[in-house]
Amino acid sequence: MTLRRVVVTGLGVISPLGNDPGTLFSRLLAAESAIRLITADGPRGQYSVIAAPVEFDPAQYFPPPQKTDNLDRVSQFSIAAAAMALKDSTIRLTDDDKRRFGVSWGTGMGAANTLEETYIQLLQRDPDRVKPMTVLTVMNNAASAHIAIQHGLSGPNLTYSCACSSSAVAIGEACRQIRHGYADAMIAGGAEAPLSFGLVKAWEALRVLAIPDRANPPASCRPFSKNRSGLVLGEGAAMVVLEEREAAIRRGARLYGELVGYGSSNDSSHITKPSVDGQAHAMSLALADAGLTPSDIDYVNAHGTGTALNDVTETRAIKQVFGERAYKIPVSSTKSMHGHLLGGAGAMEFVIALLAMHRQAVPPTAHLEHPDPECDLDYVAGRGRRDQNIHGIMSNSFAFGGTNAVLIARQTEQ
Amino acid sequence: MTTTLEAVREILVKKYSLPSESIKPEATLDSLKLDSLDLVETLFEVEDEFHIRVPQDGSINLKIATVQDIVDIVNRLVPQQIPAQLVSDH
Repeated sequence: MTLRRVVVTGLGVISPLGNDPGTLFSRLLAAESAIRLITADGPRGQYSVIAAPVEFDPAQYFPPPQKTDNLDRVSQFSIAAAAMALKDSTIRLTDDDKRRFGVSWGTGMGAANTLEETYIQLLQRDPDRVKPMTVLTVMNNAASAHIAIQHGLSGPNLTYSCACSSSAVAIGEACRQIRHGYADAMIAGGAEAPLSFGLVKAWEALRVLAIPDRANPPASCRPFSKNRSGLVLGEGAAMVVLEEREAAIRRGARLYGELVGYGSSNDSSHITKPSVDGQAHAMSLALADAGLTPSDIDYVNAHGTGTALNDVTETRAIKQVFGERAYKIPVSSTKSMHGHLLGGAGAMEFVIALLAMHRQAVPPTAHLEHPDPECDLDYVAGRGRRDQNIHGIMSNSFAFGGTNAVLIARQTEQ
Repeated sequence: MTTTLEAVREILVKKYSLPSESIKPEATLDSLKLDSLDLVETLFEVEDEFHIRVPQDGSINLKIATVQDIVDIVNRLVPQQIPAQLVSDH
């Protein structure tokens, strides 16, 4: 059976560096960081945390009479990004088309904000009752359900949760839905909104968060740098419209690239400690799926969290798969600027890698001033590079729990 | 003193921007375009307004069809759940 081919025709983001793909990408090229010290109200007064928050006015995306009372922040981001991606795709759907159009969404921690507010309400104020729509607000498929309802998309509707590779998995699995003919188009991606008091405390407790750079907070996340000290939490959503290639070409769609490879593996060794073999396995699977070799990849958007362990492990895994080519291609971690979007990271970074190919420009790894001898690839330190020659991109996503997901896209001739 | 119907009407007008005159006792929730989730939310507000708790009943949406059904529930529960002197103060 010949598999159908899948192209990306629409992009939408709600990101710490702006709420449209163009603004996000321009600011990344300029090495602008959205990371800052934020203060929020905690149970014992204000507390501060280093993070990459999103500037988001719900009223802009949910004009009256629409309401957001029963939508968690993570769903609000996702619905907004999905509408943006669909609009960007300029696709016009008949009723029949909608029956063949699905939604695939990923998140690590879902509607954590609402769950936390619910417990605070229940334990501190009223042990008797919570808001009537709590279940419908916190259920993990709320965002994908609302996207389907808003646009009338009655194809497969799927939610994936595998920590920091959730939305990469959502995109990869959506691609398979189209390839194998279960759907003709999918809107796919994911989101995270982890900046609630309880979740921030949970991440602090795990001791993986970066030490805030008091002199220069935006430089607190330093992937691949000798003086890296951990990850910085970010928030946001990214969604892409995937379509069967021939149909997209027939309707004259703008093609951001062809999604040619998806590799999925598990470390099956430790709940947090990453594995060179597990990551390399996912990259190799993605290349094999695409029918490509390392020489076809011209840019890697790294998982690059900025933790001590990830960056060395990923560097070794890239070298294991790419051999000498590992030293010849740019590999950057944009988490240095937009933070770690956890379940939303894979989709956000796939969008960024697609834009790198679409605009022939590579975003940098910011704040890389002290090279780590164990991280010896070209991480694009400093500012971004324009006028590149990029025909294929790889986007890496690795997760606690060991799920590795790698996406590969190539340029498509229109 | 506000009647139960008036208080229920006020809740529905405020929450769903319904015209006040449409909320007659015999009006069905369907005719007001209120679905099962709207009923759940309305009962939440009714609980607050009358300081009562509507008992858990998974088939309540089969038992409440009209505005009057809501009024009846309130009128039945208030004397059961609120001490007499508090009712007269309401």
